[in-house]
This record gives sequence, structure tokens and C-alpha cells, in this order.
Amino acid sequence: MDSSNDEALDIIITNVVATFRVRCHLNLRTIALEGNNVIYKPEVGKVLMKLRKPKITASIWSSGKIICTGATSEDDAKLGARRLARVLQKMGFRVRFSAFKVVNVLAVCSMPFAIHLIDFTKNNRPIASYEPELHPAATYRIKHIKATIQVFSTGSITLTGPNVQNVATAVEQVYPLLFECRKPLRK
Amino acid sequence: MASTSRGDALALPRVQCPNHPEAILVEDYRAGDMICPECGLVVGDRVIDVGSEWRTFSNEKALKDPSRVGDAQNPLLNGGDLTTMISKGTGAASFDEFGNSKYQNRRTMSSSDRAMLNAFKEITTMADRINLPRNIIDRTNNLFKQVYEQKSLKGRANDAIASACLYIACRQEGVPRTFKEICAVSRISKKEIGRCFKLILKALETSVDLITTGDFMSRFCSNLGLPKQVQMAATYIARKAVELDLVPGRSPISVAAAAIYMASQASAEKKTQKEIGDIAGVADVTIRQSYRLIYPRAAELFPPDFKFDTPVDKLPQL
Repeated sequence: MDSSNDEALDIIITNVVATFRVRCHLNLRTIALEGNNVIYKPEVGKVLMKLRKPKITASIWSSGKIICTGATSEDDAKLGARRLARVLQKMGFRVRFSAFKVVNVLAVCSMPFAIHLIDFTKNNRPIASYEPELHPAATYRIKHIKATIQVFSTGSITLTGPNVQNVATAVEQVYPLLFECRKPLRK
Repeated sequence: MASTSRGDALALPRVQCPNHPEAILVEDYRAGDMICPECGLVVGDRVIDVGSEWRTFSNEKALKDPSRVGDAQNPLLNGGDLTTMISKGTGAASFDEFGNSKYQNRRTMSSSDRAMLNAFKEITTMADRINLPRNIIDRTNNLFKQVYEQKSLKGRANDAIASACLYIACRQEGVPRTFKEICAVSRISKKEIGRCFKLILKALETSVDLITTGDFMSRFCSNLGLPKQVQMAATYIARKAVELDLVPGRSPISVAAAAIYMASQASAEKKTQKEIGDIAGVADVTIRQSYRLIYPRAAELFPPDFKFDTPVDKLPQL
């Protein structure tokens, strides 16, 4: 469906969340005192470390588990994670990079047409749900590829899924449904 | 004879009216009669009278209620408990020395349903505050029972689930209440009610219809004291605005509020944005935003037979 159009749809990945382990206990106080660009949150029990390039924010827990957010691609996320592990290694911890997994990918896409949300929801009950009082977008969940799509009436959609491949498949799947409920161009 | 007597025994109890053998008899359970609908003859007599034993009057606060039957059973909602409780004793013999009553400790009845009964009470209280009819309360109770038995939302506060059930029941009956209205009678936040609402829909695998602007018109307009003409005009405006898609992405409540503002400003009963915002639960800046979207095409939005107190070009422009 996508390829039959003249213009290709741009899927822009805005956020990739990944988790990994360093296989050793980390002393958060040491990291907080010696590290650059760190924020210590003792009430929660974690340290936030922000890397400049690639632009990544990592939540570091004392168990050695780290959640890495803010990357713009899967490779970037891996690179940032490795860099982070290197920083911790330089501080003196015996780190071992392991169990790297991309957990969530957030992408935005803009349709060239506006969408009639009420029609879209009526056609796709019960997979789609629209509660204007709670959120201005209609949520469409594709169970078998575990992707969630939020459809706005302006035609922009945001997609979240476990990896980039799923997100691409989700766009392919949802495009024909959105095309049916488009609003004709006026003005 | 002997063989047919058994057959006769089954055929005999069918009483019939002597004048109208074909007529089907109507049972009057209160008096225990069977009455022929054609001539009104009382044909049958039942032994058991299922009516109440004593008449109790509401003004008498009798300490002793002579009825030996107790409350009406609620078989649909409870586990059908047929337990017996020991009530507080009367008379001197029920107290032992030291003044303590013998047989204290009314056995807790059906502890598994205690939480459910509590929730039903809470539902009735909440529904009472906004004057909801009995059928919505019954539907809410049924929904709550289904959710409670499923146990998929066990960790959530019962009050939150009750409020969400109330919201769903109102929607299902075709008279939706906004989340803010439910919030006003419940102690739970709108966010939590919204979360429970989505969880319940998933747990019960049902879906609800989308809200439209017309669902709220009669309530908002009567609360504001607007005459029927203005209400009809506002309903027409809101419907037209949504049809012409002048307000994409706006909540139907905001559109309804803006339509009421426009209709009231064009009539003799002018209401301020603040008043409408108060009743509808929308901020007055939200009304202003939606109003700005519908203002340019105001002339088309009014119904054709509307009597203008203030003409369309004199409508306030914000």
C-alpha cells in the first residue's frame, strides 16, 4: 500500500529504549560524586547519566541494570550503551556488557490527509478505542505484532512497538484503514 | 379404571372457569387466587399466601419489627446467603453478670461478599447524589459483580472500580455522564477512573458507543435554565458543527458548551462563558477556543426557524 503511493511515508523514530546489564554491583554514591553529567536520585535509588553523543539518558541502578533512553536508532542505542559501560569501567567498576535488549521504539509518522476519528473507531471496533474526554487520539492496538498506534485527527500517528521492524509492519497494516477514513481535502 | 386414574390425577388440577373453559386464568399472587379474565370469577384457591405477614408503616419507628422474614433477598447479586444471625437480645435474660450480653458477636455473614456489599452501598450513595434512576444502579451493580468475580482488577480500589462501573452503566443506558460529573460524586480522581474504565472494558470484553454532543444538551441546558428553543438551537448548532467538521479533535463536551454559548448569546437568555463552563465542567478558555472555530460559519449553524434576539453579526467575537 505504501509503495503504491507517489510519496513515501516518512517514519521518524524519535525514541529507542534499551536495557542492559553490567554484571556487577555499582556504588551509586561513587558514580554520583565522580561522574560527569549525573543526577543522583537517592529516594528512588538510581543515578541518571546523560551522554552528549549519542544523546542518551541512562538510569543506572545499583544492581547493575541500566535503562537507556533517548536514542534515535537501534544502533545508536547500542553504541550509547557501550559508551556508558566504558565510562563506568573507567570509574573502576568491573563491568561486563551483557543482555542488551531494545525494549521499546517510539516513532511518529504523518499522513498526507486528515482522518475522521469517529468513522475510524466505528469501522474498527473493538481493536480501536477513542475516548475524547481522556485523550484526543484514537488508540489502535495490533495484538499479534504487539504494536500500539495512536491516531490523531490531523493525520499524524505515533507508533510504539518492541523493535523497528514491528513498527514498520504496523504502518503497513494500518495505512489502508486510515486511507478509508480520510477527510477529503478542502480549502 | 385403575390405569386411567393416574392419567386423571394429572389432568384434574387444571382448574377452569365454569363459564369460560378456554380462558387462561390469571394468578393473583398477593391474595393467592386464580381469576378468570373474562368474567372475573375467582376460580382457584391457593394455600400459601406470599404477601407480607404484617403491615409496617413508615412513620412508626417500631423497635420490634414483627416480621419474621427479614429483608428481601438479593439473589442476583449476592451469593444467595441463607445464613442466620444472632441479633442483640431483648429482655433481662440475655445479659449475663457484668452487664455483657450473652451471645455477643453477630456472626459475620458472608465475609466474601462483604466488600461487594460495601461497594453496592457506595454505588447507591454516588448514584443518589446525581439522582440516577434505579435501572442504572442495577446495571452498575451487575457490572461490578462481573468485574469482582473475574478478579482481574483485584488490586484496584473498590471505589475506583465502582465509579468506573457507574460511568459505563450510564453510557450503556444511553445517558452518558462526563468523567468530571462522576468525579464530583466520587472520591477517586479522573485519571484513576479513566484507567479503571479502560481496564474494565478489556476485562469484560465489551465496548461502549461514542459520546455525541446531543447526549448532554438537555442536562446542561436545564441546569442553566435555558428555554426549550435555545436548547434545540444549541443541539442543532453542535450537530451541524460536527457534521461540517469545523471542530476536529475537540471533545464533544467542549463543542456542546460552545454551541450552548452561541445559542444563548443569540437569544434573550444570555449566559456567560464562566457559567456554562461551571455547569459543563470545561474551562472557559476551552469554550473560547471552540467558539472561535464555529464563529465564522455561525449563520449556517443556526436552525432555519430560530428567532434571533441578537442577530448573527452582533454575536460576541472572542
